[in-house]
Amino acid sequence: MVNECNWGLCHHGLFGDVVEVVVSKPNPFWRLVFEPVLEFLSLVAKTLVGIVQPPYRVKDLVKQLDFVIWQSAPVVIFSVSFAAIVTIIEASFHMKLVIKNDALVPGFAALLILRELGAVVSALLITSRVGAGLAAEVGTMKVTEQIDALRMLGIQPIKYLVVPRFLACVIGGFVLSIIANLVCLYAAMLVSQVQLGYSPGSFIVAMRSFVSFQDLIFAAIKGACFGAVIPLFSCFYGFRCESGADGVGSATTKSVVSTSVAIIVLDFILGYIFSYMY
Amino acid sequence: MRSEIKVGLLFLLTIGLVAAFAFYLGAFNPFSNANKLTVMYNFAGGIEVGSPVRVMGIKVGRVTDIRFDPMGKDAKGREVKLKVDITVDKKAWKTVRQDSRFFINLAGVIGEKFIEISPGSLESDTLKPGQSVRGEDPPRVDQLISQSYGLAGKVMEFVESNETSVIDTINMMNSLVSNLNKTLKLVDKTTQNRDARKLIKNVSAISDDVAFFTAELRGPEGQKTVKLVNELIHRLKGLDAKTIKTFLQEEGIKAKLF
Repeated sequence: MVNECNWGLCHHGLFGDVVEVVVSKPNPFWRLVFEPVLEFLSLVAKTLVGIVQPPYRVKDLVKQLDFVIWQSAPVVIFSVSFAAIVTIIEASFHMKLVIKNDALVPGFAALLILRELGAVVSALLITSRVGAGLAAEVGTMKVTEQIDALRMLGIQPIKYLVVPRFLACVIGGFVLSIIANLVCLYAAMLVSQVQLGYSPGSFIVAMRSFVSFQDLIFAAIKGACFGAVIPLFSCFYGFRCESGADGVGSATTKSVVSTSVAIIVLDFILGYIFSYMY
Repeated sequence: MRSEIKVGLLFLLTIGLVAAFAFYLGAFNPFSNANKLTVMYNFAGGIEVGSPVRVMGIKVGRVTDIRFDPMGKDAKGREVKLKVDITVDKKAWKTVRQDSRFFINLAGVIGEKFIEISPGSLESDTLKPGQSVRGEDPPRVDQLISQSYGLAGKVMEFVESNETSVIDTINMMNSLVSNLNKTLKLVDKTTQNRDARKLIKNVSAISDDVAFFTAELRGPEGQKTVKLVNELIHRLKGLDAKTIKTFLQEEGIKAKLF
């Protein structure tokens, strides 16, 4: 084999045989493009299998949920509140510029917050907080050969490291996007009362004519999907981490960049799909 | 604090927030204090599930469901194929009566559709919860346009098929109007004429005099005179040519006597 598979997916994964065939090719194109893609798919498949396979590590899951939801919540809430305030003020400015009236601002700013802002901003914040930490953690474990040690002890590294983090991030994305969205709406309501002079009642009335309950459900589904992407990319780059502090740093950077890009692309895809469900 | 407690608290907070959001959007209300009604329409003009229901302009409920019923009939046996389920708050329930009418209206800058219920009169009974009532179908703008389009087509058709007679009529009316115009001008010129003015003045003076005399005639003196004349005429009734001749002869004789 020209390039050795990094974390033993080649011989055991669902795509093991394919990976072996691909990595045995001497062509650098195969190695640069197909090997990472197949390794990633293998990681996804193993993670999904690991979710349903016992033993279930509930304690690990709760610990990760604490890390993902409880510790991220203040940052997320603080940031999205400001994003909502900016949205309201900007929308009002633009509407006054165009039609000299901002009566509809509470309604469609609320819709914008629910459909896009709440889920995407909170997912990007979770990425920078949880994803970077995860990539650095797994990368360091890889560099210090702790993953090999786990494997020697008969513990599957994916089952032990990725599955609890994956579940925590999916649930965390779901919960945080709901909390972020509703706090965001609350902040928008406050700012539209203080700045634009619309009472909370008129804000809710304007919101009702645009927003339906399914918007929140779609936002939560989006949050869960974004949450699923974060640990997969982070762990993927962590497992591929090269030795040294440089390697860990580069793995962390790559994971955050690719997760952010993936979230934005996924947002487009999900937004497109959901637009057919209205 | 233990991780389990923190995570549990956040889950509870999330569930609470979702419930509050659903409550404010009107999608879910555990403390519902409303009665249901089914309003039947043949055309609902853009009503949606969640549209508000108002009594005298105040929101008292919303549309909960819209059903198609191809076999549907109202109390009088007429076909009504659309059933709209609405809720009406109990505080407004007593104002909605048997003779209330259910209109579909449009409001607000964004053209929100709502069901407006007119309050019923005190003589009629209150409705029963869950009762079916007939709503007033809103006017269909599309139908109106198509009807006026048809009317315009018929007018065009009539004009085209009777083109010569229509043109004749118009020509006749044209000459009539020009004649009238000429006449009016002539009248105008006449009133400007000095002789004509004098004539009019004289006529006016005569009519004034006549008025004066007739006024006098209407007085007690006049009445007396009229009575006397009347009497005289009655007395003269018996006179004919023969009598007059005789009378004249007698007078003649008498005259001869003088």
